[in-house]
Amino acid sequence: MTGRVIVITSGKGGVGKTTTSANIGTALAKNGHSVVLIDTDIGLRNLDLLLGLENRIVYTLVDVVEERCKLKQALVKDKKNPNLCLLAAAQTRDKSSVTAEQLKKITEKLKKDYNYILVDCPAGIEQGFQTAIAGASEAIIVTTPEMSAVRDADRIIGLLEAAEGIENYKLLINRVRPNMIKSNDMMSVEDVENILSCQKIGVIPEDTGIITSTNRGEPIVNNEKSLAGRAYINVARRINGEEVPFLDINEPKDIIGKLKKFISGLKKQGKE
Amino acid sequence: MEQVLNDNVYVIDLGDINTAPEIIFELSSVLDKEEVKNKRICLKLGNVDLNQAQLLSIKSLISGIDSILSSIDTKSVETEKVALSLGIIISNVSAENTYEISPAMPYKTAEELKEEIQANNNENKEDVIVEEPDLISQNETSNTIISEEAQNLEKTIDETAKQEEEIIEEKKEDTVTTENSNIQNPVNEELQDELDVIFGSNPVQTSIFDMEPSQEETYAEREELTDIIVPEQEYTKEDIELEAFPTKYIKQTIRSGQVINYEGNIVIIGDCHPGCEVTALGDITVWGVLSGIAHAGAGGNQKARVRALKMNAIQLRIANCYSRRPDSLNTVFIEKTNSFTPEEARIINGEIVVFKIND
Repeated sequence: MTGRVIVITSGKGGVGKTTTSANIGTALAKNGHSVVLIDTDIGLRNLDLLLGLENRIVYTLVDVVEERCKLKQALVKDKKNPNLCLLAAAQTRDKSSVTAEQLKKITEKLKKDYNYILVDCPAGIEQGFQTAIAGASEAIIVTTPEMSAVRDADRIIGLLEAAEGIENYKLLINRVRPNMIKSNDMMSVEDVENILSCQKIGVIPEDTGIITSTNRGEPIVNNEKSLAGRAYINVARRINGEEVPFLDINEPKDIIGKLKKFISGLKKQGKE
Repeated sequence: MEQVLNDNVYVIDLGDINTAPEIIFELSSVLDKEEVKNKRICLKLGNVDLNQAQLLSIKSLISGIDSILSSIDTKSVETEKVALSLGIIISNVSAENTYEISPAMPYKTAEELKEEIQANNNENKEDVIVEEPDLISQNETSNTIISEEAQNLEKTIDETAKQEEEIIEEKKEDTVTTENSNIQNPVNEELQDELDVIFGSNPVQTSIFDMEPSQEETYAEREELTDIIVPEQEYTKEDIELEAFPTKYIKQTIRSGQVINYEGNIVIIGDCHPGCEVTALGDITVWGVLSGIAHAGAGGNQKARVRALKMNAIQLRIANCYSRRPDSLNTVFIEKTNSFTPEEARIINGEIVVFKIND
């Protein structure tokens, strides 16, 4: 088996790389693929928290690199999905503890046993980023419809094109607010695509459920009612090569909006 | 002959030398070196028997260069005895820091342990295990000893019950009733038998509860009982080791990513946030919320303990045992109240159990 190594990166921090990694990983595992999530954000790890595996980590990526344990010992199995494994980052070290070659070796080893290896990249374009992309052949660039995030994504795409080994990269637009786009307060998805001249793989609407899911340590794809969760499942299917139409993120918001208008209209009438 | 184990520990190997004067001569030549100063020294000795005076002179030699004789590794039983009497740790240097981590199991609370023990007791009632989740009454000896102890206890309890009966009868004759109002009526034998059937697995506890009234004499009896419940805990070399350890005192909040390593006991006045790691050869005491990873007895000391005002540790490790936080305790944050119940974790039968320290 030769697995696919996909790096999830953004440049700018706080756009949802880790959330995306956790959710896509969980969605792929749900569809029956074997998945390893690698957290390369050494010193500022969060992926374990999102998956609710914080208390199970004994060995980390740094321990594997420094040969204090075997690779298999460091893989933490997910609570619900036996297909999903996490290779956590060390919290007490820094980015210089793992080099690009070392990570590449690890991904090469994992490729033999797993369908997907998702690498959660740290923010920035320094050593941590260079390490994270080393083993990957594909990339997903996460961005939000804000100018700063789009700029940083542009820079990252440039670096990815220059980097060896990355054959294919796609754009994932996160935290989209259809209402703001309608009122021209936010860049539309098409705008972002045009600016970056990059094909999109998914559009994730802003969802307050993400915050609760992060706090609970349970990825939002487990909640089928959530629009963001469904959007992530679709992204996972597209990664797997299926052709899935993009979710209409406007529709449900519209109904709520209509309802709100309707109710507020009723209230006004009542006052008059 | 000598090697540096890590930054602080220096191992001097004198395993080939067989007479005491030669050892002292060799040692003094080694101790002349600059790198041995201000270190914790592990002394490796062979078959040679050292007496107290010789060991003391070695100790003073080492303290003369501002180092500490932290442990001795010896093949001689005599030397080991003498060293123990002087409070020097006996260790096997090569075995130090080699421990395996057992599979991840959530750590238990005292209540869970109690339930488990009761379940076990129901399975085979012949093994009477008396386990009190109280701090004082905890024991780590084998079940057989405890069961013997319990049988003895049953006898003593019967005796005390009879004595009570007599006392009460006497007092009834004297028509003093007010003082005795709290004392429960003596149980007759039939009832006692029934009770034994019902509480057969746990006779001592029922007896304690029988004697609950807060009168001085009953309280004294209760004290006696708890004394019996605790089988004389063996004072092993592990205890001596713990007492001999130096203690580091830290007065700050330990934040994510911070690592504290100390070859001794650690006392932290402040919280330990998630993502921090505290490792000690001895005990870890946190005057605050412990939410990170704590590893007590990292050198293999099974009697090491972890204490905290609020135990919320992601992982607890003591010696070669390892447990994770139960998933039910995964909360977003710990609400800080004024009424924390201090908790203590220690190894019971190879598992880490967290006890609440009441009263």
